[in-house]
Amino acid sequence: MQISIQSLSHQYFNGKTTHALQDIYLDVSQKQFVALIGPSGCGKSTLIRLIANLIVPSQGEIKIGNFHPKQAIENGKVAWMAQSPALLPWLTVEGNLRLAERFQKGKNQQSLNVEQVLKRVGLESAADQHPYTLSGGMQQRLALARLLLQDAPIWLMDEPFAALDELTRERLTEELFSLWKDFSPTVIWITHNIHEAIKLSDRILVFSEQPGHIVADIPNAIPHPRLENNPDFQELLFKLRSILHQDSTGNINHAA
Amino acid sequence: MQHKQSRKTIVITLSIVIFFFLAWELGVFLTGTPVYLLPAPSRVIQTLLSHPDTFAQATFLTLGEALTGLMIGVLAGILLASVLTLLPGIEDGVMTLAILIKSTPMVAIAPLLTLWLGFGILPKIIITALMSFFPVLINVLSGMQRVDPALYDLFKSWNASRWEIFRFLRAPSAIPYLFTALKITGPLSLIGAVVAEWTGASGGLGRTMWLAYTNLNLPFLFAAIFILAAAGMIIYRIITWSEAKAVFWQPAQTNS
Repeated sequence: MQISIQSLSHQYFNGKTTHALQDIYLDVSQKQFVALIGPSGCGKSTLIRLIANLIVPSQGEIKIGNFHPKQAIENGKVAWMAQSPALLPWLTVEGNLRLAERFQKGKNQQSLNVEQVLKRVGLESAADQHPYTLSGGMQQRLALARLLLQDAPIWLMDEPFAALDELTRERLTEELFSLWKDFSPTVIWITHNIHEAIKLSDRILVFSEQPGHIVADIPNAIPHPRLENNPDFQELLFKLRSILHQDSTGNINHAA
Repeated sequence: MQHKQSRKTIVITLSIVIFFFLAWELGVFLTGTPVYLLPAPSRVIQTLLSHPDTFAQATFLTLGEALTGLMIGVLAGILLASVLTLLPGIEDGVMTLAILIKSTPMVAIAPLLTLWLGFGILPKIIITALMSFFPVLINVLSGMQRVDPALYDLFKSWNASRWEIFRFLRAPSAIPYLFTALKITGPLSLIGAVVAEWTGASGGLGRTMWLAYTNLNLPFLFAAIFILAAAGMIIYRIITWSEAKAVFWQPAQTNS
């Protein structure tokens, strides 16, 4: 399922007006894995919150397939994952998944059931445990399992592994990549880690500082596995770093 | 380790209580304070033991009034907090009325209720319920309104209705807040019942205290105070024990 964004701007009104996003035009094709990078407060989270219908845009239009964001949410087309694993602490691991499953009924045809998703993320032995007994990595695995259970064609991910230690984060990004290969959703993924963005995504959007707009739209066709000693990897890394360090007032830079 | 810690806590608590009573006993003995001003604890306990039926009947009545009033106040607080959460439009109006009731001194309402409803248990139950109601309303309402934003986003991304968010997220999130309120209102309910009994009653610890006070029978008065203190402590302990069982996902408070 593709995403199409036209002339999107958003302002927050909190005593004063904050221009979070300005003039976003974006087409994300089906099954694409798009990484959003940029400085803090540049509107990346605002953009995916708008796509997830968690906020309503001040101006412009978002289409998810043929749906508006509200309809897409109503029809279970969008799955959301945030930095916090957002688990209900009073429910067990299985209870958290059963609840997600309850909200999924009648929307998408589930390819995996609760037992299968638990097995897929390696949490089958922790089904009866409560989230507070799990490590941060395991909690995010559970959040991933819940995402899988929804079987939505679009995954919106707001720095889901940012709070984890480096080793756990690496393992989970590999896990995410493997899930994307197996289930082929369209992914929009916010990250602050340029290495991760290069390793996983097939398109990288660089955002400017506030008001956020896209200053570079870079396709990433480096063949997998993307090792850091690959010259193409290093070249892209250098390019992204220089864009991020530049004064971000330029136009969209469509890389060759 | 935890067992050892709790035993240490019990020993420290008992030592403090015993030291307090020994100091009191010794102070009364050394200063020769007359019994109509301050009886020694040994004299109070002697009075308690020599009138077991009188005190047992009074305690039973006051506890019955206090716990019935507490239950009604707590249920009313939870119910109103739920209604205000589900219908936020009426919050300002209802809260104004609730604050008005809260701001009216109970010592002014209690004699009126006795005048209108007689010397029976009903005015005592109403006063206790009024005193318990407000802390429960405020705390539970806060708990229902201040849910984890990440969880709220997740429910919105599931297209959960207001009722579903209430049922699966807001109501369970308010449980820790309910226990905070109960720790205030539990012991307070005894004060409510006693204050109401002072304004006119046919029995109960409040009436026992009032009679003892008018006769300057201070050992009797202190015996009633001892019972109230013990009952208040037991109620508080039962609430904290229930809290540990019900809010199992929150770590115990530490101060080390």
